[in-house]
Amino acid sequence: MRQYLLKSILQIVPVLFLISIIVFVLVYVTGDPVSLMLSDTATDEDREILIAALGLDQPMHIQYFRFLGNMLQGDFGTSFRYDMPALPIVLERLPATFELAIAAMIVATVISIPLGILSATKRNSFLDIFVSGASVLGKAMPHFWLGIMLILLFAVEWKTLPVSGRGSWDHLILPAFTLGTGIAAEMTRLIRSSMLEILGQDYIRTARSKGLIETIVVYKHALRNSLIPVVTIMALQTSTLIGGTLITETIFSWPGMGQLIIQAVNTRDMAIVQAAVFVVAFLVIVSNILADILYRVLDPRIKYN
Amino acid sequence: MEANLLEVKHLQTHFKTEDGVVPSVNGVSFSVAKGETLAIVGESGCGKSVTSLSIMGLVAPPGEVVGGEIWLEGQNLLALSKKELRKLRGNKLSMIFQEPMTSLNPVFTIGNQLGEVFRQHRQMDKKEARAHSVEMLEHVGIPNAEKIVDSFPHQLSGGMRQRVMIAMALACNPALLIADEPTTALDVTIQAQILELLKKLNKEFQTGVILITHDLGVVAEMADRVVVMYAGEVVEQADVFSLFAEPKHPYTKGLLGSLPKLDENREELDSIPGSVPNPLDMPDGCAFHPRCPAATEECKQNKPQLQEVALNHLARCFYA
Repeated sequence: MRQYLLKSILQIVPVLFLISIIVFVLVYVTGDPVSLMLSDTATDEDREILIAALGLDQPMHIQYFRFLGNMLQGDFGTSFRYDMPALPIVLERLPATFELAIAAMIVATVISIPLGILSATKRNSFLDIFVSGASVLGKAMPHFWLGIMLILLFAVEWKTLPVSGRGSWDHLILPAFTLGTGIAAEMTRLIRSSMLEILGQDYIRTARSKGLIETIVVYKHALRNSLIPVVTIMALQTSTLIGGTLITETIFSWPGMGQLIIQAVNTRDMAIVQAAVFVVAFLVIVSNILADILYRVLDPRIKYN
Repeated sequence: MEANLLEVKHLQTHFKTEDGVVPSVNGVSFSVAKGETLAIVGESGCGKSVTSLSIMGLVAPPGEVVGGEIWLEGQNLLALSKKELRKLRGNKLSMIFQEPMTSLNPVFTIGNQLGEVFRQHRQMDKKEARAHSVEMLEHVGIPNAEKIVDSFPHQLSGGMRQRVMIAMALACNPALLIADEPTTALDVTIQAQILELLKKLNKEFQTGVILITHDLGVVAEMADRVVVMYAGEVVEQADVFSLFAEPKHPYTKGLLGSLPKLDENREELDSIPGSVPNPLDMPDGCAFHPRCPAATEECKQNKPQLQEVALNHLARCFYA
């Protein structure tokens, strides 16, 4: 286990190196950074001074190594919009993003596991058809529509939950449901099909032949096996959520990464974009490693080396 | 002979498919005495596995037991509620399957899966269940049981896994054990060991055994009596000696004729021509007549009944 972890951590290094190149190039492929930073009234002389100050007159590889050196010290440059170092601004948004991501995953898991199991064990029943229909609907509803509908109902009509912002736990409910519904729909369908496959396995027949009660057959013998493919989807979804979810965050004025990144892109605040892309990439890698560890916990056949 | 442990009467198990009803088991009757080993033989698809699953109450939809009676120690299993039947399974009535490689759950340890039987039927706590599991593993000849109990199925060989399955099936000392082709998936040397073990345990615990197989060598080795099935019906039933010495039904004769003999030197083995009839399109008359070398006009028109052709020897043939 320890060896496996060490290996995974070492594997992060080349990936992060590649990401650093992409992040570095980002600034150049999106336009001339100097023109962006200068005001309309700036003279050519001002321009020369700025180029020299930013080191943009240096050869590309020198610029990259300087960028890399700074990056390794946590310095992604200064945000000209906030006039502050970029990384702390990005990190400040992380708790809000995590909070929403975790809440959405909890909503998705709590809804999808029981529904997926029920749907599979009562295959072709009214309940199964209803759940399948609801999953299609859940997946088809766009976030902006669902979010606004939830606001209209719970905040405007019934006045039971706040419209937007972040604060106490009740601020979290509507955005978490807006995000979690689509994921729940996808996971429900996946758990259903995975469960159906597992319920046909020989070892399920063995479990029944031992006279075990059906609850143990389903929740112990079948569920653990059918969760293995579900973990993949959960990991992918978590990665997406870590990147922030632009629409949901915008609707609910949730101060997360998605909102920050879109604002930074709009104002071409490249230091923030670079820092945010890097942080998100890092967290995606970490969530994939966690998924890998989870596989190994669920399935003893997967070895650590 | 002692009173019968198991009595199966006119069992009918049908599968409803889109193309029609498949009568996989069609009026099968037989009995097993205490401590007796009954072999059920037949080709793939003759209904022998479905018969055993019907006894266990494990026929999965679209299959359904639609008629007959199954009496185990004076209780009609088909009249029991699901819950009552479940309490018998793994307890009085247990089963081992053909595929030891896939019959154990890959994500739980041997001890966990074996211990479940004790926890379910004997209300033991985890510690007691584990101790009993180790004991049971030792009983079925697993060396190093203390260690194996904490292993996962993928860490064991096929033979070992089948021993674990046997330990699991015998954990609660059942009155009846159904072994559905227990050695088919194993190497020949391991087969012999597993059969030896089943024989030993059968004697030791006086367990009635239904051995389902298509291997006549296994039948000769293990069985006291034999039921031969063809297309969902019993075609012959006799004690093992009479059956091998004087088979009455042409199908049984064909099965025995297809075996190689030690005192003969020949290039090719005999086989039964044709194949098992399509269950949705059964021939009229005797189900075996299209493949029977001795078939007459009568066989094509009338269906023979199972009748006593010698003492305790039944056959479903006009000319037996």
